[in-house]
Amino acid sequence: MLSTKRLLSIFVVFVLVVSACGGDETSDEGAASTTITVYSGRSEDLIRPILDAFTAETGIEVEARFGDSAELALLIQTEGDSSPADIFISQSPGALGLLAGEGRLATLDKGLTSMVGDGFSASDGTWIGITGRIRVVVYNADLVDVADLPDSILDVTDPAYAGRIAVAPSNGSFQDFVTAMRNELGDDATLAWLEGMARNGSPNYPKNSAIVEAVGRGEVEMGLVNHYYNLRALEADPSVASVNHFLPADDLGALVIVTGGAVLRSSDTPAVAHQLLEWMLSEATQASFAAETQEYPLRNGVAGPDGVPSLDGLAVDTIDYSLLGNGLTGTIELIRASGIEQ
Amino acid sequence: MVVAIGLLFLSPFAYVLWRNVDLGADLGEIIWDADTLHPLRRSLSLASTVALSSVVVGTGLAWLTIRTDLPGRRIWRVLAPLPLVFPSFVGATALLAGFATGGLIEELLSPFGIDALPSVRGYRGAWLVLTLFTYPYVYLPVAARLSSLPPSLEESARILGRSPWSVFRTVVLPQTSPAIWAGALLVFLYAISDFGAVALLGYDTLTEQIYADRLFNQPRAMGLSLVLGGVALVVVMMERSLDRRRQQIEVTRVRESLLVGLGRWKPVAWLAVAAFLGAALIGPLAVLGFWTWRGLTADVETIGLSTDLGSLVGPAVNSAQAGLLTAAVAVVVVLPVAWATARHRSRVAGAANAMVVAGFALPGVVIALSLVFWVIDTPLLSTWYQTLPLLIVAYVLHFGAQATRAARVAVDAAPRRMSDVAATLGASRTRRFVSVELPLMTPGLLAGAGLVMLSTMKELPATLLLAPIGFDTLATEIWNAGDSGALAQSSLASLVLVALSAVLTWAVVLRRIENY
Repeated sequence: MLSTKRLLSIFVVFVLVVSACGGDETSDEGAASTTITVYSGRSEDLIRPILDAFTAETGIEVEARFGDSAELALLIQTEGDSSPADIFISQSPGALGLLAGEGRLATLDKGLTSMVGDGFSASDGTWIGITGRIRVVVYNADLVDVADLPDSILDVTDPAYAGRIAVAPSNGSFQDFVTAMRNELGDDATLAWLEGMARNGSPNYPKNSAIVEAVGRGEVEMGLVNHYYNLRALEADPSVASVNHFLPADDLGALVIVTGGAVLRSSDTPAVAHQLLEWMLSEATQASFAAETQEYPLRNGVAGPDGVPSLDGLAVDTIDYSLLGNGLTGTIELIRASGIEQ
Repeated sequence: MVVAIGLLFLSPFAYVLWRNVDLGADLGEIIWDADTLHPLRRSLSLASTVALSSVVVGTGLAWLTIRTDLPGRRIWRVLAPLPLVFPSFVGATALLAGFATGGLIEELLSPFGIDALPSVRGYRGAWLVLTLFTYPYVYLPVAARLSSLPPSLEESARILGRSPWSVFRTVVLPQTSPAIWAGALLVFLYAISDFGAVALLGYDTLTEQIYADRLFNQPRAMGLSLVLGGVALVVVMMERSLDRRRQQIEVTRVRESLLVGLGRWKPVAWLAVAAFLGAALIGPLAVLGFWTWRGLTADVETIGLSTDLGSLVGPAVNSAQAGLLTAAVAVVVVLPVAWATARHRSRVAGAANAMVVAGFALPGVVIALSLVFWVIDTPLLSTWYQTLPLLIVAYVLHFGAQATRAARVAVDAAPRRMSDVAATLGASRTRRFVSVELPLMTPGLLAGAGLVMLSTMKELPATLLLAPIGFDTLATEIWNAGDSGALAQSSLASLVLVALSAVLTWAVVLRRIENY
């Protein structure tokens, strides 16, 4: 193995050379005011206004790094105890579960976690759900007869749907859905469902938005996605033919995928970090999520967005979200073994 | 010096190796598995065919625009390197919107009775998209080489009555082969490491597997990253052994290269160039322009869909700064390696060269995480964590290969004989380097710097993880806006990226390549 010391000394020399060329470091830290750092897997234009409002209200500066949830989780994992982040916001419970499993997340106050319904925070209190979106079948209204739409997610493996339903097997939401199915039906039934999708030659896409675009232009008839992508697509182009089909409330296909927040155990200012999570769960902020991003606010008593089924009717609390994170290695193995990736 | 640079470039591999050991990855089991071998075979066949087609297109285009009387060649020369600036997910999205089933082209053609284009998904689509967006890796070094070749041989051949095609085949091709090889290698490495295009087009390659495994099956993701790096090393070694058997062709500074008359082929050649650049550059730009225009004129009142050119000024400045700095640093760092490989053919230099080149095949996330690993808990270095200098180190580790291949060609272009003559005349080593060798190497080095600059400006994964907080680039803007469904803003940022790249490529690179 190489001498680490040697490598490091090379780094020093190199970094010095680079900095001499760069010459524009910012070392004008004013001290005094509190600053906390957020790593957010939620995109900037959804989160930034909320952080700015928090700063205006409390005077606490928030520095935010935006990126892909899974990659930010890898970053936090690699940074270890030295991570600059105080808070991690993830699009998918899976990434939070991974960090919780590695002991990277602090246990949140009961007062905070009790703000949301039972199913929407980790059972060990390491993270809390902020918003949710529901899994739907998006379809092209020009190509699909409404009578042809599936009544249950278990029906889509029927040969009648061969080649007609797009999936995103490498996407976090799809993986969370498969994990939920394992929780409910067990591994054998889940593998059988995935193999049914594989036999049907379900077209693969990398992510939800790509499926919605493909359905919109008629490249594929239907797709399994989260509900709000199509709402965005319709805002950009109201004439597009893609429509959301909501599965019955008690169907596994109507799973709610949670965007969650957590405080890192390595944070120097856990109290301030808590304060920011409380802000995100305040009634005003939660109501703004429903209005502006058409997501489900998860705080008890805050009304959901228009035009989607009410959260109360959904059978979400039968699924233990804290299990979604830990079992994901098995989920990925099942997905791969089924041959659905093609 | 060369050892030090080699070790720097070794650091990502050392990290991947360490993670493999640490996670207890069973490499044998990971590799000898149909779930790995099939995607690996797909990666290799895709990369080989893309390399081949890029060689044909890149070389042809370089010859037509530099050496012939092709109408509009000055404009074509500026446009030809540009498709490289499309981040592959942007390019693939735009092409899909244009060419896919139900896309814009089909809509345009439907009045003429054509209602279904052949599917662009899968291998065919991935091959097409990657060829359209990576041929500049061949085009740029070949064009730089052609513009500095002495016209004497070609003149003789022409005087002896050879046709343009014959001159091209017997004179031009042999003289440009080092540049062609250099470009083909880069295209190959880009294609095996690309994720954006293959994922969108549904072609399951090794990078797709790494992506799916990156969080919850880390031993396999790290094992497969090692496989990717290994493939790159093998290819570099193969290329190097071919390289040894190649005769060295010396180049002198020339006043003006000879223009070949295309004669009656002129309209055909013009149409071919226009059609190709239409698909690689104008088409995607038109789609992006259409989306931007639709967003600007839409009367729907929506939050998060605002289109704002002013907010892109800061990111544009940051992108330009990062691109230029990285290009400069990369050239300075890899020149000693290229020099040692070309002039001394030492084993150490060969190994360093292989490390530099193979870094291009590792996923950007892996490069970024390796720097996090080496830097975050190390005294002295940790203060540089998530600063611009460290981000530039990441870019150099990732894209140094692009400079080193071009630098190698550049060093070959500076004949030792001339330096020897200068030495006899009493010139010092430094003086010989500055006044004899450097000017001769300039076109090649600039071509390399240009490639690094363009790649840096569109880099996303390492930028998201390692940039100083608040250091938004155009690439992160495109991603951010695209991620939240703001198609118009995302398209506008892509257009700004292309425009900025065009201006910088012209100002910094093309304008300075003699006779370009």
